[in-house]
Amino acid sequence: MARYGMALDYKNCINCKACEVACKEENGVLLGADKHRIWVGSNDVKGEWPLLDIASAAFLPSQCQHCDDAPCQEVCPTHATYYDENNVVRVDPDKCILCSYCMNACPYDARYVDDRTMTVDKCNFCAETRIARGETTTACQNTCPTKVRIFGDLDDPNSEISETLRVREHFTLKTHLGTNPKLFYLT
Amino acid sequence: MAETVEKTEEMGMIDKAKAFVSTIPYNKIGMKDLTDFEKTPRNNLVAVLTLAFVAMFVVGVAIYLMHGHHAYNVTREHPWGLLIAVYIFFVVSSTGLCIVGSLGDVFGFKDYEMISKRAIFGSIVTILAGFAVIAFEIGHPVTMLIYNVISPGLTSAIWWMGTLYGIYLTFMIIEFVFLLKHDMKNARIFGLTGLLVGLAAHSNLGSVFGFLNARPISNGVFYPTYFILTAFITGIFIAYILMGWRYKLDFPTEAKKMLIGLAKIQGLLISILIFFVTWKMLTDIYGGMPNRSEVAIHILGSWTFWAEVILAMLIPLYIILKDMGKSINAMFWASLAGMVGIFFMRYNLVHDTQLKPLQMMKIKEYQLTPEWIHYFPSMTEIMISLGGLGLCVLLYYIGSKLFNLDADEAH
Repeated sequence: MARYGMALDYKNCINCKACEVACKEENGVLLGADKHRIWVGSNDVKGEWPLLDIASAAFLPSQCQHCDDAPCQEVCPTHATYYDENNVVRVDPDKCILCSYCMNACPYDARYVDDRTMTVDKCNFCAETRIARGETTTACQNTCPTKVRIFGDLDDPNSEISETLRVREHFTLKTHLGTNPKLFYLT
Repeated sequence: MAETVEKTEEMGMIDKAKAFVSTIPYNKIGMKDLTDFEKTPRNNLVAVLTLAFVAMFVVGVAIYLMHGHHAYNVTREHPWGLLIAVYIFFVVSSTGLCIVGSLGDVFGFKDYEMISKRAIFGSIVTILAGFAVIAFEIGHPVTMLIYNVISPGLTSAIWWMGTLYGIYLTFMIIEFVFLLKHDMKNARIFGLTGLLVGLAAHSNLGSVFGFLNARPISNGVFYPTYFILTAFITGIFIAYILMGWRYKLDFPTEAKKMLIGLAKIQGLLISILIFFVTWKMLTDIYGGMPNRSEVAIHILGSWTFWAEVILAMLIPLYIILKDMGKSINAMFWASLAGMVGIFFMRYNLVHDTQLKPLQMMKIKEYQLTPEWIHYFPSMTEIMISLGGLGLCVLLYYIGSKLFNLDADEAH
């Protein structure tokens, strides 16, 4: 029993996309531009030479926020979207009817349709692969060369993520929607 | 001994049910009766179009069964497409016809009793057409039937909407049977219950959009209430079309009286709708709230929005206000235009909700543009949608031959 979350030291991201590749490889995510569980967003640099706004050119890795109050879970008519024993938001493909309501309700664009099962798929913190094998890291975290990602149990006060969130300032995305995301961006 | 008694009771129930069904009045018809209609160019055109649409439905469904959702132009960013809009179009029509049908047989307005049976039958065929369309939009309809029951998501507006519509259909069928049997007391009981369940189902459909906190353009109380209003408007448009078709625009005095009454109600309803939409747009734009005001301004610039306004609001309202609803022949044509406008209203609702990208900084690497999400239905989606219309007209035609949809003499 844990409450898994992830902290992202996003300013260290160099946009190498190793995390995206590792995620697809580990979890067997299909190829194709719209088939992605995680992504690295980038902003165009603002301003005109030589007054370029370097700070605007940040990379922003993102994915399902595993919200504590997930809209996708609330709107699911068959409980196909559920919280597992580790408070990870997951999809049960046997129960998913592909009404796509969760895709519309998710504020983070974190869901897509898996063409093999024709059901909705999303990041599950490698619950069916690495975590099921007893490992304690996710594929994206394990592969990141600049150590952007810290994954762990938010309920364990001694975990690295809890320690980091105690000492580093952080924010969450679209906080005003009351979804209580478990993805934290370190500033 | 107890087993024998139970069995006899069971037999008794079955016999009673059989006896009840055998007393439902209907006409015995064959293929010859179905092809027996006045061969005017207008009738022939409608017949050919209906059959062509039904054929399109078959072809569209075949393509869908072969290719699944790949046959549709829905995407990760725009997961709801034309079929959702068409489903809403049909269920709005059904709720609207239920409201119009209830005026006479539930609320006792004598002037409107003559359309009750026809409207209630219309509400059954429209919702069946809606179900036929949505069955090929939902990825796993059989799974839906099973898990809706054994694993109900009670916080889901879609669960409530679907379940309530299922119950509503049952009540509408029972009400229709009692209307056929001219059992007005029972028809009133089931009619009122069906109406209340239908209104609950329909406002739940509005809440499917109203609950979307992630989409500020749709989020809020507006859609759950607006859906009821537009259902009533749609019901009156279809009532005009059904009566116009029934009497070939040569209305008897009683029908004229009813249609003028309905036109006056429609004038009031459309005025309220214009008032609603105007304030929705103004509150959306006012203050420049991100993700809402720019979407509303974008909607104002789209031709489909103006198709909705002109066809479903301005033209019918002008015709009604011109002589306080007395031009019922003109209103028949305006109602046809109005239904096209209502279609755009449903399409806009679905498309506009998804217009704005969710801004998760996916800009260059993925196909998501920072501007607007584009969508245009595929041929398969269009074929299944037109097929829904074909099925609806065909079922209504068969029903009009099978049952007496006119008011009973003693009524």
